[in-house]
Amino acid sequence: MKRHMSAGLIALLCLGLFCSYTANHRAQAQGVSQEKITVLTPLGTPPPITLRPMAPRPASLEGKTVYILDQGYPNSDKLMLEVTAWFEKNMPETKAIFRRMGRGSRPSPGTPDLFTEIKENADGVVIGTGH
Amino acid sequence: MDFEADMGIPSVPMVLSEFYEQETEKTHNEGMPGLRIEWIRGPVWGKTSEQLRRDVVNGTSPISGKNVMREIVDHLTRPLTDDDIRTGTIERGRGPETFTDTPDNLQKLFLEKRFTDFLPVILPTEEKVAEMLKGTSHDPDEALGKLAPTFGNAFEYWTFTVKDVAVNAVMAGCKPEYFPVILAVASTNKEGISVSDNSFVEGLVINGAIRNEIGLNSGIGAMGPYAHANTTIGRAWSLYSINLGNCGKVGTTYMGTVGNPMNLINIVIAENEEDSPFAPLSVRKGFKKNENIVSLFEGWGVLSAKNWRANTWDPVMNYPETIKEIFSLQDQMFGAAAVLSPPIANFVRNAGFETIEKFKEFLIEGPDGQKYFQSPNQMEIIVTGGSNNNYFSIGGMRYSSSVTIDDWR
Repeated sequence: MKRHMSAGLIALLCLGLFCSYTANHRAQAQGVSQEKITVLTPLGTPPPITLRPMAPRPASLEGKTVYILDQGYPNSDKLMLEVTAWFEKNMPETKAIFRRMGRGSRPSPGTPDLFTEIKENADGVVIGTGH
Repeated sequence: MDFEADMGIPSVPMVLSEFYEQETEKTHNEGMPGLRIEWIRGPVWGKTSEQLRRDVVNGTSPISGKNVMREIVDHLTRPLTDDDIRTGTIERGRGPETFTDTPDNLQKLFLEKRFTDFLPVILPTEEKVAEMLKGTSHDPDEALGKLAPTFGNAFEYWTFTVKDVAVNAVMAGCKPEYFPVILAVASTNKEGISVSDNSFVEGLVINGAIRNEIGLNSGIGAMGPYAHANTTIGRAWSLYSINLGNCGKVGTTYMGTVGNPMNLINIVIAENEEDSPFAPLSVRKGFKKNENIVSLFEGWGVLSAKNWRANTWDPVMNYPETIKEIFSLQDQMFGAAAVLSPPIANFVRNAGFETIEKFKEFLIEGPDGQKYFQSPNQMEIIVTGGSNNNYFSIGGMRYSSSVTIDDWR
Protein backbone atom coordinates (compact mmCIF):
# COMPACT_ATOMS: atom_id res chain seq x y z
CA MET A 1 0.00 0.00 0.00
CA LYS A 2 2.80 2.35 1.10
CA ARG A 3 4.72 1.47 -2.06
CA HIS A 4 1.68 2.37 -4.17
CA MET A 5 1.35 5.76 -2.44
CA SER A 6 5.04 6.55 -2.96
CA ALA A 7 4.81 5.72 -6.64
CA GLY A 8 1.74 7.97 -6.92
CA LEU A 9 3.56 10.88 -5.22
CA ILE A 10 6.56 10.50 -7.49
CA ALA A 11 4.27 10.50 -10.54
CA LEU A 12 2.53 13.69 -9.33
CA LEU A 13 5.90 15.32 -8.69
CA CYS A 14 7.08 14.48 -12.22
CA LEU A 15 3.84 15.81 -13.68
CA GLY A 16 4.27 19.04 -11.72
CA LEU A 17 7.85 19.49 -12.92
CA PHE A 18 6.76 18.80 -16.51
CA CYS A 19 3.93 21.34 -16.31
CA SER A 20 6.27 23.95 -14.83
CA TYR A 21 8.78 23.35 -17.63
CA THR A 22 6.20 23.63 -20.43
CA ALA A 23 4.67 26.77 -18.89
CA ASN A 24 8.11 28.45 -18.81
CA HIS A 25 8.84 27.28 -22.31
CA ARG A 26 5.50 28.63 -23.55
CA ALA A 27 6.08 31.98 -21.84
CA GLN A 28 9.45 32.31 -23.56
CA ALA A 29 7.92 31.40 -26.90
CA GLN A 30 5.18 33.99 -26.38
CA GLY A 31 7.73 36.76 -26.30
CA VAL A 32 8.19 37.44 -22.60
CA SER A 33 11.90 37.62 -23.37
CA GLN A 34 11.40 39.87 -26.46
CA GLU A 35 13.57 42.97 -26.47
CA LYS A 36 11.89 46.33 -26.78
CA ILE A 37 12.22 48.20 -30.05
CA THR A 38 11.27 51.71 -31.15
CA VAL A 39 9.07 52.32 -34.16
CA LEU A 40 7.90 55.46 -35.92
CA THR A 41 4.36 56.79 -36.00
CA PRO A 42 2.64 56.06 -39.31
CA LEU A 43 0.30 59.05 -39.00
CA GLY A 44 0.04 62.18 -41.11
CA THR A 45 -0.64 65.59 -39.61
CA PRO A 46 -4.21 66.82 -39.12
CA PRO A 47 -4.87 70.54 -39.59
CA PRO A 48 -5.61 72.89 -36.65
CA ILE A 49 -9.25 73.49 -35.75
CA THR A 50 -10.58 77.01 -36.20
CA LEU A 51 -13.57 77.48 -33.89
CA ARG A 52 -16.49 79.25 -35.53
CA PRO A 53 -19.49 80.77 -33.72
CA MET A 54 -23.02 79.64 -34.43
CA ALA A 55 -25.69 82.14 -35.49
CA PRO A 56 -27.87 83.82 -32.84
CA ARG A 57 -31.29 82.23 -32.40
CA PRO A 58 -34.66 84.02 -32.53
CA ALA A 59 -36.89 83.53 -29.47
CA SER A 60 -39.54 81.95 -31.68
CA LEU A 61 -40.35 81.36 -35.36
CA GLU A 62 -43.59 83.33 -35.23
CA GLY A 63 -43.61 85.78 -38.14
CA LYS A 64 -40.25 84.43 -39.34
CA THR A 65 -39.20 82.93 -42.67
CA VAL A 66 -37.61 79.48 -42.85
CA TYR A 67 -36.06 78.20 -46.07
CA ILE A 68 -36.43 74.46 -46.67
CA LEU A 69 -33.58 73.42 -48.96
CA ASP A 70 -33.40 70.27 -51.07
CA GLN A 71 -29.78 69.20 -51.25
CA GLY A 72 -30.32 67.16 -54.40
CA TYR A 73 -29.73 63.61 -53.20
CA PRO A 74 -32.12 60.93 -54.52
CA ASN A 75 -35.62 61.54 -53.13
CA SER A 76 -34.55 64.35 -50.81
CA ASP A 77 -36.91 66.71 -52.64
CA LYS A 78 -39.87 64.57 -51.58
CA LEU A 79 -38.77 64.71 -47.96
CA MET A 80 -38.13 68.44 -47.93
CA LEU A 81 -41.53 69.08 -49.55
CA GLU A 82 -43.07 67.10 -46.67
CA VAL A 83 -41.10 69.26 -44.19
CA THR A 84 -42.46 72.37 -45.93
CA ALA A 85 -46.00 71.00 -45.75
CA TRP A 86 -45.56 70.32 -42.01
CA PHE A 87 -44.65 73.96 -41.36
CA GLU A 88 -47.63 75.16 -43.44
CA LYS A 89 -50.02 72.91 -41.52
CA ASN A 90 -48.62 73.12 -38.00
CA MET A 91 -46.97 76.56 -37.88
CA PRO A 92 -48.93 78.76 -40.33
CA GLU A 93 -47.51 81.87 -38.65
CA THR A 94 -44.07 80.83 -40.01
CA LYS A 95 -43.40 81.31 -43.72
CA ALA A 96 -41.82 78.12 -45.12
CA ILE A 97 -40.18 78.46 -48.54
CA PHE A 98 -39.00 75.36 -50.45
CA ARG A 99 -36.00 75.70 -52.78
CA ARG A 100 -33.81 73.26 -54.70
CA MET A 101 -30.03 73.70 -54.54
CA GLY A 102 -26.92 71.78 -55.60
CA ARG A 103 -25.26 69.27 -53.34
CA GLY A 104 -23.41 70.71 -50.35
CA SER A 105 -24.16 73.82 -48.37
CA ARG A 106 -21.73 76.04 -50.24
CA PRO A 107 -22.86 78.13 -53.21
CA SER A 108 -22.32 76.31 -56.49
CA PRO A 109 -21.90 78.24 -59.76
CA GLY A 110 -25.58 77.76 -60.58
CA THR A 111 -26.99 78.96 -57.27
CA PRO A 112 -25.45 82.32 -56.25
CA ASP A 113 -28.83 84.05 -56.61
CA LEU A 114 -30.42 81.54 -54.25
CA PHE A 115 -27.80 82.23 -51.59
CA THR A 116 -28.31 85.98 -51.98
CA GLU A 117 -32.05 85.44 -51.58
CA ILE A 118 -31.51 83.32 -48.46
CA LYS A 119 -29.14 85.82 -46.91
CA GLU A 120 -31.66 88.63 -47.43
CA ASN A 121 -34.80 86.81 -46.35
CA ALA A 122 -34.12 83.76 -44.17
CA ASP A 123 -34.44 83.67 -40.39
CA GLY A 124 -33.64 79.96 -40.44
CA VAL A 125 -32.69 77.18 -42.79
CA VAL A 126 -33.53 73.47 -42.80
CA ILE A 127 -31.39 71.56 -45.28
CA GLY A 128 -31.66 67.92 -46.26
CA THR A 129 -30.93 65.21 -46.45
CA GLY A 130 -27.13 65.09 -46.21
CA HIS A 131 -27.45 61.74 -48.01
CA MET B 1 -22.53 74.90 -41.89
CA ASP B 2 -21.71 78.05 -43.82
CA PHE B 3 -25.21 79.36 -43.21
CA GLU B 4 -24.31 79.68 -39.52
CA ALA B 5 -20.81 81.12 -39.59
CA ASP B 6 -20.75 82.99 -42.89
CA MET B 7 -24.35 84.19 -43.24
CA GLY B 8 -25.36 84.33 -39.57
CA ILE B 9 -28.51 82.27 -40.23
CA PRO B 10 -29.56 79.48 -37.85
CA SER B 11 -29.52 76.20 -39.75
CA VAL B 12 -30.50 72.60 -39.16
CA PRO B 13 -29.11 69.91 -41.45
CA MET B 14 -31.27 66.76 -41.61
CA VAL B 15 -28.92 63.79 -41.73
CA LEU B 16 -29.41 60.01 -41.59
CA SER B 17 -28.57 58.67 -38.13
CA GLU B 18 -26.11 56.20 -39.71
CA PHE B 19 -23.85 59.24 -40.24
CA TYR B 20 -23.94 60.26 -36.54
CA GLU B 21 -20.29 59.43 -35.78
CA GLN B 22 -19.06 60.84 -39.07
CA GLU B 23 -20.87 64.17 -38.75
CA THR B 24 -20.07 64.53 -35.05
CA GLU B 25 -16.35 64.20 -35.84
CA LYS B 26 -16.70 66.43 -38.88
CA THR B 27 -18.48 69.28 -37.07
CA HIS B 28 -15.85 69.08 -34.33
CA ASN B 29 -12.98 69.21 -36.82
CA GLU B 30 -14.62 72.06 -38.72
CA GLY B 31 -14.84 74.16 -35.55
CA MET B 32 -18.57 74.02 -34.83
CA PRO B 33 -19.06 71.07 -32.47
CA GLY B 34 -22.43 72.35 -31.28
CA LEU B 35 -24.04 72.43 -34.73
CA ARG B 36 -27.61 71.23 -34.26
CA ILE B 37 -28.21 68.35 -36.61
CA GLU B 38 -31.56 66.59 -36.80
CA TRP B 39 -30.89 62.86 -37.04
CA ILE B 40 -33.44 60.99 -39.09
CA ARG B 41 -34.28 57.42 -39.99
CA GLY B 42 -32.90 56.26 -43.33
CA PRO B 43 -32.90 55.51 -46.10
CA VAL B 44 -34.73 58.39 -47.80
CA TRP B 45 -33.99 57.08 -51.28
CA GLY B 46 -36.70 54.78 -52.60
CA LYS B 47 -39.52 55.84 -50.24
CA THR B 48 -42.85 57.40 -51.17
CA SER B 49 -43.97 60.79 -49.83
CA GLU B 50 -46.40 58.99 -47.52
CA GLN B 51 -43.64 56.79 -46.14
CA LEU B 52 -41.35 59.79 -45.59
CA ARG B 53 -44.14 61.66 -43.82
CA ARG B 54 -44.77 58.67 -41.54
CA ASP B 55 -41.15 57.59 -40.90
CA VAL B 56 -39.39 60.94 -40.79
CA VAL B 57 -41.56 64.06 -40.58
CA ASN B 58 -44.08 62.62 -38.11
CA GLY B 59 -41.55 60.18 -36.66
CA THR B 60 -38.91 60.44 -33.97
CA SER B 61 -35.16 60.93 -34.10
CA PRO B 62 -33.33 57.60 -33.67
CA ILE B 63 -30.74 59.47 -31.58
CA SER B 64 -32.83 61.63 -29.23
CA GLY B 65 -36.18 59.84 -29.41
CA LYS B 66 -37.90 63.22 -29.83
CA ASN B 67 -40.37 64.23 -32.56
CA VAL B 68 -38.35 65.27 -35.61
CA MET B 69 -40.16 68.47 -36.53
CA ARG B 70 -40.59 69.74 -32.96
CA GLU B 71 -36.88 69.17 -32.41
CA ILE B 72 -36.03 71.09 -35.61
CA VAL B 73 -38.03 74.07 -34.31
CA ASP B 74 -36.17 73.77 -30.99
CA HIS B 75 -32.80 73.68 -32.80
CA LEU B 76 -33.71 76.92 -34.59
CA THR B 77 -34.86 78.79 -31.47
CA ARG B 78 -33.05 77.43 -28.38
CA PRO B 79 -30.59 80.03 -27.00
CA LEU B 80 -26.89 79.42 -27.65
CA THR B 81 -24.45 78.34 -24.95
CA ASP B 82 -21.02 79.90 -24.34
CA ASP B 83 -19.43 76.93 -26.13
CA ASP B 84 -21.61 77.57 -29.19
CA ILE B 85 -20.09 81.02 -29.74
CA ARG B 86 -16.46 80.29 -28.86
CA THR B 87 -13.77 81.39 -31.34
CA GLY B 88 -10.04 80.73 -31.60
CA THR B 89 -7.71 78.04 -32.89
CA ILE B 90 -7.00 74.58 -31.47
CA GLU B 91 -3.66 73.13 -32.59
CA ARG B 92 -3.64 69.39 -33.14
CA GLY B 93 -0.55 67.24 -33.32
CA ARG B 94 -0.40 63.69 -34.54
CA GLY B 95 0.54 62.27 -31.16
CA PRO B 96 3.83 60.58 -30.21
CA GLU B 97 6.49 60.46 -32.94
CA THR B 98 7.69 57.04 -31.74
CA PHE B 99 6.43 54.03 -29.78
CA THR B 100 8.71 51.70 -27.76
CA ASP B 101 7.71 48.21 -26.67
CA THR B 102 8.21 44.55 -27.59
CA PRO B 103 7.34 43.59 -31.20
CA ASP B 104 4.29 41.62 -30.05
CA ASN B 105 2.97 44.52 -28.00
CA LEU B 106 3.63 46.99 -30.81
CA GLN B 107 1.62 44.82 -33.21
CA LYS B 108 -1.23 44.91 -30.69
CA LEU B 109 -0.84 48.66 -30.22
CA PHE B 110 -0.91 49.35 -33.97
CA LEU B 111 -4.03 47.19 -34.26
CA GLU B 112 -5.75 48.94 -31.34
CA LYS B 113 -4.90 52.39 -32.69
CA ARG B 114 -6.22 51.31 -36.11
CA PHE B 115 -2.87 52.01 -37.77
CA THR B 116 -3.31 48.77 -39.73
CA ASP B 117 -5.61 47.04 -42.20
CA PHE B 118 -6.26 44.43 -39.45
CA LEU B 119 -3.41 42.24 -40.68
CA PRO B 120 0.04 42.13 -39.06
CA VAL B 121 2.45 44.72 -40.42
CA ILE B 122 6.21 45.05 -40.73
CA LEU B 123 7.05 47.25 -37.76
CA PRO B 124 8.51 50.56 -39.02
CA THR B 125 11.80 50.93 -37.16
CA GLU B 126 14.06 53.85 -38.01
CA GLU B 127 16.45 51.40 -39.74
CA LYS B 128 13.76 49.87 -41.96
CA VAL B 129 12.38 53.30 -42.87
CA ALA B 130 15.90 54.52 -43.72
CA GLU B 131 16.29 51.51 -46.01
CA MET B 132 12.99 52.32 -47.73
CA LEU B 133 14.10 55.94 -48.22
CA LYS B 134 17.08 54.67 -50.25
CA GLY B 135 14.51 54.00 -52.99
CA THR B 136 14.21 57.71 -53.70
CA SER B 137 16.49 60.74 -53.98
CA HIS B 138 13.83 62.98 -52.46
CA ASP B 139 14.36 64.62 -49.08
CA PRO B 140 12.57 62.61 -46.35
CA ASP B 141 11.12 65.82 -44.94
CA GLU B 142 9.78 67.01 -48.28
CA ALA B 143 6.11 67.94 -47.95
CA LEU B 144 4.57 65.55 -50.42
CA GLY B 145 0.85 66.13 -50.33
CA LYS B 146 -2.48 66.22 -48.59
CA LEU B 147 -5.09 63.52 -48.35
CA ALA B 148 -8.76 63.20 -47.35
CA PRO B 149 -11.30 60.36 -47.50
CA THR B 150 -12.72 61.90 -50.68
CA PHE B 151 -12.04 64.86 -52.94
CA GLY B 152 -13.67 68.25 -52.41
CA ASN B 153 -14.37 70.02 -49.15
CA ALA B 154 -16.43 67.39 -47.32
CA PHE B 155 -13.49 66.25 -45.15
CA GLU B 156 -10.39 67.82 -43.69
CA TYR B 157 -7.08 67.16 -45.45
CA TRP B 158 -4.13 65.71 -43.54
CA THR B 159 -0.65 66.55 -44.75
CA PHE B 160 2.32 64.20 -45.07
CA THR B 161 5.98 63.98 -46.03
CA VAL B 162 8.06 61.56 -48.09
CA LYS B 163 9.17 59.90 -44.83
CA ASP B 164 5.58 59.44 -43.68
CA VAL B 165 4.88 57.50 -46.88
CA ALA B 166 8.05 55.45 -46.34
CA VAL B 167 6.82 54.41 -42.87
CA ASN B 168 3.62 53.07 -44.38
CA ALA B 169 5.44 51.41 -47.28
CA VAL B 170 7.56 49.53 -44.73
CA MET B 171 4.43 48.46 -42.87
CA ALA B 172 2.94 47.12 -46.13
CA GLY B 173 6.03 45.01 -46.73
CA CYS B 174 7.31 46.93 -49.77
CA LYS B 175 10.87 46.79 -51.05
CA PRO B 176 12.78 50.09 -51.56
CA GLU B 177 12.70 49.60 -55.33
CA TYR B 178 8.89 49.85 -55.24
CA PHE B 179 9.02 53.17 -53.39
CA PRO B 180 9.07 55.50 -56.46
CA VAL B 181 5.80 53.92 -57.64
CA ILE B 182 4.20 54.53 -54.25
CA LEU B 183 5.49 58.12 -54.07
CA ALA B 184 4.16 58.78 -57.58
CA VAL B 185 0.71 57.57 -56.50
CA ALA B 186 0.92 59.56 -53.24
CA SER B 187 1.78 62.71 -55.22
CA THR B 188 -1.69 62.58 -56.84
CA ASN B 189 -3.39 63.11 -53.45
CA LYS B 190 -5.90 60.42 -54.44
CA GLU B 191 -7.17 58.31 -51.58
CA GLY B 192 -6.87 54.53 -51.80
CA ILE B 193 -10.05 54.03 -49.74
CA SER B 194 -12.98 56.28 -50.60
CA VAL B 195 -15.58 57.21 -47.98
CA SER B 196 -18.43 56.71 -50.46
CA ASP B 197 -21.36 54.46 -49.60
CA ASN B 198 -20.88 53.05 -53.12
CA SER B 199 -18.05 50.86 -51.74
CA PHE B 200 -15.66 52.05 -54.44
CA VAL B 201 -12.37 50.39 -55.32
CA GLU B 202 -9.25 52.12 -56.61
CA GLY B 203 -6.98 50.88 -59.38
CA LEU B 204 -3.48 51.44 -60.74
CA VAL B 205 -2.15 50.63 -64.19
CA ILE B 206 1.64 50.58 -64.47
CA ASN B 207 3.50 50.89 -67.76
CA GLY B 208 7.16 50.94 -68.72
CA ALA B 209 10.32 49.00 -68.01
CA ILE B 210 9.85 49.31 -64.26
CA ARG B 211 7.20 46.57 -64.47
CA ASN B 212 9.86 43.96 -65.07
CA GLU B 213 12.57 45.69 -63.02
CA ILE B 214 10.60 45.38 -59.80
CA GLY B 215 8.91 42.07 -60.58
CA LEU B 216 5.32 43.15 -61.20
CA ASN B 217 3.23 40.28 -62.51
CA SER B 218 1.53 40.91 -65.85
CA GLY B 219 0.96 37.25 -66.73
CA ILE B 220 -1.36 34.63 -65.26
CA GLY B 221 -3.17 36.05 -62.22
CA ALA B 222 -2.08 39.61 -63.05
CA MET B 223 -4.86 41.36 -61.12
CA GLY B 224 -4.61 39.11 -58.08
CA PRO B 225 -2.26 38.85 -55.09
CA TYR B 226 0.22 36.57 -56.84
CA ALA B 227 3.35 38.71 -56.87
CA HIS B 228 5.10 40.54 -54.04
CA ALA B 229 5.28 43.85 -55.91
CA ASN B 230 1.62 43.96 -57.02
CA THR B 231 0.37 42.94 -53.58
CA THR B 232 2.46 45.20 -51.38
CA ILE B 233 2.22 48.30 -53.61
CA GLY B 234 -1.56 47.99 -53.52
CA ARG B 235 -1.51 47.41 -49.77
CA ALA B 236 0.72 50.43 -49.23
CA TRP B 237 -1.81 52.67 -51.02
CA SER B 238 -4.55 51.58 -48.63
CA LEU B 239 -2.33 51.70 -45.52
CA TYR B 240 -1.04 55.19 -46.17
CA SER B 241 -4.61 56.30 -46.94
CA ILE B 242 -5.66 55.06 -43.49
CA ASN B 243 -2.77 56.74 -41.70
CA LEU B 244 -1.98 59.83 -43.78
CA GLY B 245 -5.52 60.72 -44.87
CA ASN B 246 -7.62 59.33 -42.00
CA CYS B 247 -9.43 57.09 -44.50
CA GLY B 248 -11.23 53.81 -43.92
CA LYS B 249 -12.64 54.38 -40.42
CA VAL B 250 -16.10 52.81 -40.42
CA GLY B 251 -18.73 55.27 -39.24
CA THR B 252 -16.62 58.39 -39.70
CA THR B 253 -14.48 58.23 -42.85
CA TYR B 254 -15.76 55.01 -44.42
CA MET B 255 -19.43 54.50 -45.25
CA GLY B 256 -19.35 51.83 -47.98
CA THR B 257 -22.72 50.17 -47.48
CA VAL B 258 -21.60 46.62 -48.24
CA GLY B 259 -17.83 47.21 -48.40
CA ASN B 260 -15.31 45.96 -50.92
CA PRO B 261 -12.61 43.31 -50.29
CA MET B 262 -10.47 44.93 -52.99
CA ASN B 263 -9.83 47.87 -50.63
CA LEU B 264 -7.18 45.70 -48.95
CA ILE B 265 -4.73 45.70 -51.85
CA ASN B 266 -6.64 47.60 -54.55
CA ILE B 267 -6.42 46.62 -58.24
CA VAL B 268 -2.79 46.87 -59.30
CA ILE B 269 -2.31 46.09 -62.99
CA ALA B 270 0.99 45.90 -64.81
CA GLU B 271 0.00 46.03 -68.46
CA ASN B 272 1.21 43.07 -70.50
CA GLU B 273 2.88 45.30 -73.07
CA GLU B 274 4.89 42.40 -74.48
CA ASP B 275 1.84 40.39 -75.56
CA SER B 276 -0.54 43.25 -76.32
CA PRO B 277 -1.21 44.17 -79.96
CA PHE B 278 -2.08 47.72 -78.91
CA ALA B 279 -0.14 50.76 -77.73
CA PRO B 280 0.21 50.78 -73.91
CA LEU B 281 -2.26 52.86 -71.90
CA SER B 282 0.51 55.33 -71.00
CA VAL B 283 1.30 55.97 -74.67
CA ARG B 284 -2.37 56.53 -75.39
CA LYS B 285 -2.31 59.13 -72.59
CA GLY B 286 0.52 61.03 -74.29
CA PHE B 287 3.67 59.58 -72.73
CA LYS B 288 6.60 58.02 -74.61
CA LYS B 289 6.84 54.26 -74.95
CA ASN B 290 8.99 52.73 -72.18
CA GLU B 291 8.42 55.74 -69.91
CA ASN B 292 7.58 54.51 -66.42
CA ILE B 293 4.04 55.72 -65.78
CA VAL B 294 1.34 54.90 -63.25
CA SER B 295 -2.29 55.67 -64.10
CA LEU B 296 -5.14 55.87 -61.60
CA PHE B 297 -8.67 54.50 -61.86
CA GLU B 298 -11.69 54.54 -59.57
CA GLY B 299 -15.06 52.82 -59.67
CA TRP B 300 -17.02 49.76 -58.66
CA GLY B 301 -14.43 47.26 -59.80
CA VAL B 302 -14.38 44.74 -62.64
CA LEU B 303 -15.97 41.33 -62.97
CA SER B 304 -15.31 38.43 -65.29
CA ALA B 305 -17.09 38.92 -68.60
CA LYS B 306 -18.47 35.42 -68.17
CA ASN B 307 -20.75 36.90 -65.50
CA TRP B 308 -22.48 39.30 -67.89
CA ARG B 309 -25.64 38.02 -69.54
CA ALA B 310 -24.62 39.69 -72.79
CA ASN B 311 -21.71 37.28 -73.09
CA THR B 312 -23.00 34.30 -75.09
CA TRP B 313 -20.05 31.87 -74.99
CA ASP B 314 -20.65 30.30 -78.39
CA PRO B 315 -18.14 28.00 -80.11
CA VAL B 316 -17.36 30.85 -82.48
CA MET B 317 -17.05 34.13 -80.63
CA ASN B 318 -17.47 37.74 -81.73
CA TYR B 319 -15.57 39.39 -78.90
CA PRO B 320 -15.81 43.00 -80.15
CA GLU B 321 -19.61 42.69 -80.25
CA THR B 322 -19.68 41.02 -76.82
CA ILE B 323 -17.53 43.75 -75.28
CA LYS B 324 -19.77 46.38 -76.88
CA GLU B 325 -22.90 44.76 -75.46
CA ILE B 326 -21.46 44.60 -71.96
CA PHE B 327 -20.19 48.19 -72.21
CA SER B 328 -23.70 49.30 -73.15
CA LEU B 329 -24.92 48.00 -69.76
CA GLN B 330 -22.50 50.13 -67.74
CA ASP B 331 -23.57 53.23 -65.81
CA GLN B 332 -22.54 56.67 -67.09
CA MET B 333 -21.05 57.63 -63.71
CA PHE B 334 -17.85 55.69 -64.16
CA GLY B 335 -18.15 54.67 -67.78
CA ALA B 336 -16.62 51.32 -68.61
CA ALA B 337 -13.23 49.67 -68.42
CA ALA B 338 -12.28 46.33 -69.91
CA VAL B 339 -9.28 44.32 -68.77
CA LEU B 340 -8.50 42.04 -71.71
CA SER B 341 -6.21 39.03 -71.68
CA PRO B 342 -3.80 39.04 -74.65
CA PRO B 343 -5.83 36.45 -76.65
CA ILE B 344 -8.95 38.64 -76.45
CA ALA B 345 -6.95 41.76 -77.33
CA ASN B 346 -5.51 39.96 -80.35
CA PHE B 347 -8.99 38.82 -81.37
CA VAL B 348 -10.12 42.46 -81.32
CA ARG B 349 -7.06 43.52 -83.31
CA ASN B 350 -7.59 40.78 -85.89
CA ALA B 351 -11.23 41.81 -86.24
CA GLY B 352 -9.94 44.98 -87.89
CA PHE B 353 -9.51 47.36 -84.97
CA GLU B 354 -5.93 48.53 -85.44
CA THR B 355 -5.97 50.84 -82.43
CA ILE B 356 -7.87 51.19 -79.17
CA GLU B 357 -9.14 54.54 -80.45
CA LYS B 358 -10.81 52.82 -83.43
CA PHE B 359 -12.22 50.17 -81.14
CA LYS B 360 -13.68 52.88 -78.88
CA GLU B 361 -15.37 54.49 -81.90
CA PHE B 362 -17.08 51.15 -82.49
CA LEU B 363 -17.94 50.62 -78.82
CA ILE B 364 -19.59 53.99 -78.29
CA GLU B 365 -22.06 53.73 -81.19
CA GLY B 366 -25.55 52.68 -80.08
CA PRO B 367 -28.60 51.99 -82.23
CA ASP B 368 -30.26 54.74 -84.31
CA GLY B 369 -27.27 57.06 -84.12
CA GLN B 370 -27.33 57.16 -80.31
CA LYS B 371 -24.16 56.89 -78.26
CA TYR B 372 -23.72 54.68 -75.22
CA PHE B 373 -21.39 57.23 -73.64
CA GLN B 374 -20.95 60.98 -74.01
CA SER B 375 -17.25 60.66 -74.80
CA PRO B 376 -14.72 57.96 -75.76
CA ASN B 377 -12.81 59.09 -72.67
CA GLN B 378 -15.44 57.34 -70.57
CA MET B 379 -14.16 54.00 -71.86
CA GLU B 380 -10.79 52.39 -71.29
CA ILE B 381 -9.15 49.18 -72.44
CA ILE B 382 -6.23 47.58 -70.56
CA VAL B 383 -4.36 44.45 -71.61
CA THR B 384 -2.91 42.14 -68.98
CA GLY B 385 -2.87 38.54 -67.81
CA GLY B 386 -1.92 35.21 -69.30
CA SER B 387 -2.65 33.66 -72.67
CA ASN B 388 -3.96 30.38 -71.32
CA ASN B 389 -7.60 31.14 -72.13
CA ASN B 390 -10.03 33.70 -73.52
CA TYR B 391 -11.02 35.36 -70.28
CA PHE B 392 -11.47 39.05 -69.64
CA SER B 393 -13.13 41.38 -67.13
CA ILE B 394 -15.32 44.45 -67.43
CA GLY B 395 -16.81 46.93 -65.00
CA GLY B 396 -17.42 50.56 -64.13
CA MET B 397 -13.97 52.02 -63.61
CA ARG B 398 -13.01 55.58 -64.56
CA TYR B 399 -9.53 56.77 -65.54
CA SER B 400 -8.47 59.91 -63.66
CA SER B 401 -4.78 60.73 -64.17
CA SER B 402 -1.30 59.48 -65.02
CA VAL B 403 1.99 60.45 -63.36
CA THR B 404 5.65 59.81 -64.08
CA ILE B 405 7.28 57.31 -61.74
CA ASP B 406 10.85 58.35 -62.56
CA ASP B 407 10.26 61.79 -61.03
CA TRP B 408 10.21 59.97 -57.70
CA ARG B 409 13.36 57.86 -58.03
